[in-house]
Amino acid sequence: LKYSPKELKTNVNVTQTSSLKEFFILIGGVLAFLVVGYGALGFLVDFIAPRLPYKIEQALSGPFGHNIFDVKKNKESEELERILGELLDVMPGEVGSYRVTLVDDNLVNAMALPGGSIIVFAGLMNEVESEEELAFVLGHELGHFANRDHLKGLGRGLVFYSLFVLLLGSDSSLAELIGGSLAGVQVKFSQHQEMMADMYALDLLNRRYGQVTGAMRFMEKLASKEKKGRLAYYFSTHPHPKVRIANIKSKIRN
Amino acid sequence: MAEKKHYRSIISREAQLLHIPTVSVKNMIEGGVDIIDARMVQGSVVISIDHFKRILASLRNIFGGKVTAYESLVDRARREAILRMKEKSPNADIVLNTRIETSTIGRSANNRKSIGSIEAMAYGTAVSYRK
Repeated sequence: LKYSPKELKTNVNVTQTSSLKEFFILIGGVLAFLVVGYGALGFLVDFIAPRLPYKIEQALSGPFGHNIFDVKKNKESEELERILGELLDVMPGEVGSYRVTLVDDNLVNAMALPGGSIIVFAGLMNEVESEEELAFVLGHELGHFANRDHLKGLGRGLVFYSLFVLLLGSDSSLAELIGGSLAGVQVKFSQHQEMMADMYALDLLNRRYGQVTGAMRFMEKLASKEKKGRLAYYFSTHPHPKVRIANIKSKIRN
Repeated sequence: MAEKKHYRSIISREAQLLHIPTVSVKNMIEGGVDIIDARMVQGSVVISIDHFKRILASLRNIFGGKVTAYESLVDRARREAILRMKEKSPNADIVLNTRIETSTIGRSANNRKSIGSIEAMAYGTAVSYRK
């Protein structure tokens, strides 16, 4: 028996593949699954949300209180309640119980909380000059309620989170890797919702006052203060004020 | 990449140590040789998984199939362990009864808080003949 050493040139224990290629194929598969799943379930959410009875919406919105804010009660808040009441009188369809709360904060903003509560920050009260402008802001938030935007947001968030947990488990480094990639779609969607809320507010304004000049004045005020370019608005939740003005103008023309 | 460098080193050292056969049989099959020395030799190595391999493997976990990212890791560890074992006995004529053990070090390879490593240990009986 003679031992003659021979070097093996091939290695059967290691598959000869490019790891980078494999990485992109796998990540492509994951992304395709997420996009398809998110799209399909997202449309389901959009389909169900407007058809959900008002009572269920109230029950779902239970935990979202507004007692975290420094609530202000004065003439201005009474004025807000009066305008809201008048808008609700002309609101079409099923009208729920909506409340408006004035919050002592310098923010120039307003928001709609799930459960029918509208928050107006005191900073905004200093900016608006007429009742119609205020009515436009309230109408915009009422538009979010009427379109069930917050329910859609909740639903989509739930879908997104469920898909991630299903795929990667609740504790995975991959979740962070893919996490940001679908956020752009989400933002784009909510910009569309903002536009729809604007349109809804215009309609309410028209029903209540017979004109919509207040809306134009308010948006132009926002636009003149805005220093960010349009590009910066791509990743923002609201569209650029100039875009909103253009949309309002085209709606008035129609 | 560290892996390519390691493979280059493994291949060149394997060529240098090719004259020592490493076999898994327990007893001498060659007759008529005079054994002057027989001793146990062992070599071991610990190799870490890198982040890229781990991400690749956890992606692979979703779809199933060959985890090629770990194949090369285990292959390198076992060959390196055998090489170190042979380097311990450069004058031996043969290494009998060679065994390889593999184990994981670090709590869990897929746990995000700790990066796993594998240890490979090779051991055998290095035998020298009278010439």
